[in-house]
Amino acid sequence: MKKTLILSSLGALAGLLMLGNVASSADLKIGIMVPTTGSEATYGKDMENAINLAAGEINKAGGVLGMKIVTMTGDAACDPQQATAAASKLVSANVNGVVGGYCSGATLPTMKIYGDANIPLVIPAANSTKLIGINPGNAFQINSTGFDQVKTAVSLFKAKGINKLAIVHQGDGYSEDLAKLTREKWTAMGKEVVAYEVVNKGEQDQSALVTRIKSKAPDAVFWTAYYADGAMVIKQLRQAGYRNLIAVGDGSNSPKLLKIAGKAAEGVYCFSNPTVEYLPAAKAFHANYKAAYKQDPDAYAALSYDGMKLLADAITRAGSTDKAAIIKALAATKDFTGIAGPISFTDKNTLARSNFVILVAKDGKWILNK
Amino acid sequence: MSIQDILLQQLANGLILGSFYALVALGYTMVYGIIKLLNFAHGDLYMLGAFVGFIALSFLSDYIGDGWAGIVCSMVLSMIAVGLLGVLIQRIAYVPMLSAPRLSILITALAVSMVLYNGVMAFTDGQYLAFTTDLNYEGVQLGNVFVTNTQMVLVGSSLLLMIVLYLFVHKTLYGKAMRAIAIDQDACRLMGINVNKIIALTFFIGSSLAAAAGVMAGTYYGSIHFFMGFIIGLKAFTAAVIGGIGSIPGAMLGGLLLGLLEAFGTQIPFIGTEWKDVFSFGILILLLVFKPTGILGKTEIERM
Repeated sequence: MKKTLILSSLGALAGLLMLGNVASSADLKIGIMVPTTGSEATYGKDMENAINLAAGEINKAGGVLGMKIVTMTGDAACDPQQATAAASKLVSANVNGVVGGYCSGATLPTMKIYGDANIPLVIPAANSTKLIGINPGNAFQINSTGFDQVKTAVSLFKAKGINKLAIVHQGDGYSEDLAKLTREKWTAMGKEVVAYEVVNKGEQDQSALVTRIKSKAPDAVFWTAYYADGAMVIKQLRQAGYRNLIAVGDGSNSPKLLKIAGKAAEGVYCFSNPTVEYLPAAKAFHANYKAAYKQDPDAYAALSYDGMKLLADAITRAGSTDKAAIIKALAATKDFTGIAGPISFTDKNTLARSNFVILVAKDGKWILNK
Repeated sequence: MSIQDILLQQLANGLILGSFYALVALGYTMVYGIIKLLNFAHGDLYMLGAFVGFIALSFLSDYIGDGWAGIVCSMVLSMIAVGLLGVLIQRIAYVPMLSAPRLSILITALAVSMVLYNGVMAFTDGQYLAFTTDLNYEGVQLGNVFVTNTQMVLVGSSLLLMIVLYLFVHKTLYGKAMRAIAIDQDACRLMGINVNKIIALTFFIGSSLAAAAGVMAGTYYGSIHFFMGFIIGLKAFTAAVIGGIGSIPGAMLGGLLLGLLEAFGTQIPFIGTEWKDVFSFGILILLLVFKPTGILGKTEIERM
């Protein structure tokens, strides 16, 4: 008897809890799919915070089409299986749209799930070029892809009057991709790649490579891999008397690189995703975020914030919560002003204009290159 | 740069890299010479040497700066600390295994290696630490070859350490005891030599040479991390085998030779830097096929 009482009260409690969670029909339900557990949880939480901040601001300003935004989070855990479960959960909750996708590998299998349900998906972080090919048409990538970094890199080299380029990578998927795409683009422009080298991970002595590069007299050296070994290469290039331009890819975008390479890193260029500290338009966002969460926004906060705002904007333009109409409105986005830069889409639903920024090392710090 | 200049610059690169290899290879070869153990934890002692030097320098820099004085002092401290640690490892992990089959002690050495680098990984969170010093890039331009003062000092001090070691082994009573134990331990015991003490001394010297190389590498390359001993351990082992494992001049020669092979290996036409390890380890295989005892090794070598 007692047992049934407990059970029934538990049931009632559960019902109450569910009621608390269930949005009323007049609300706009937006799903957030980010890793909130596991190794990438810090980034995921940061994205969730930024999206909720945007939703709160929109609600304060009167909501979307008179409806309040209610968000719910699915934990993708940076794992394809968990992400699939999270996506299914959001789909069965009948959300009007989803903002999310941090790890490309975990985002990949969810695209079909959202695609089958025809749910609009705005992806703020995941940027593998693989996502482009399998997009069923409902997903929109607002982070630049690897192709865009190449565009930014090549534009810098062109502006600096570079002719002979040396490219160094480490043979892993990420850095080799970037190196290969850059080489293709550079040679297609009729310029010369004088050295295309691979180095082992974790090797400290790069003197042989440095001598080889120096003997080819390049105008610029482009390091496409990560910061720890990159610092080594930069230091030894400068030590050997190489004075021309050095640029590093976004994998080397770390204050650690400057610390390890020391004075040798002065003047090195780096391509970076638009993080809050380098965005003049994100000042207010930075302050609001800090006030709300007592911490500084991390790498993908600005893009996540833009993602939520973009989705709300598209729903307003669509004039209804009809999913097909929202997707159509998203695709028609023209120069939406985000804090990370203007958003327009290509016919493949990727960013029309690269939002990579160029940083330069000055006095031991990365600053925005003017 | 003309081709001669490039080759000369690679010669300089090879000698610098080779002197690191030689210092680490000496520890391998000394320990092998005396108790026939391939001490796979040796590369990790090099790594520990760098970390101890790093800690010492961050304390000392407040008093004597992080220029040459600070570096030399922290190097000496690191050599003593890591040398003692080498003796401790020998006492705890190797002495009880001396009468066990050769394979058991080899596996123990692998275990010690894992304990050391995983321990450092746990302490440092797997992070790269920046080893900042006051050294600059001034140097000498010899034709088109550029050598920094730091590089010259590094090569000079490793050569000095090697000469001191050579004199110690060949001109002192302790050195004589070491060489005697390498030939016949039991006979040495009968002659009243304290074998355990001499073996401990060997571990001390070998470990402190690795620590010296570690501190030099830390100051020269400017960053240290828990895995830095792995690759150099492998390369130094190769160098010891090329020179003839068990032979001290062999380790020096093998180290320098391997450094040169790697530097010139990158310069072979039509192949890139990614082939340099293929090239140097390929030479190792050829050497083992045609002269398995190494360049200066004795003919009666015991296989594991």
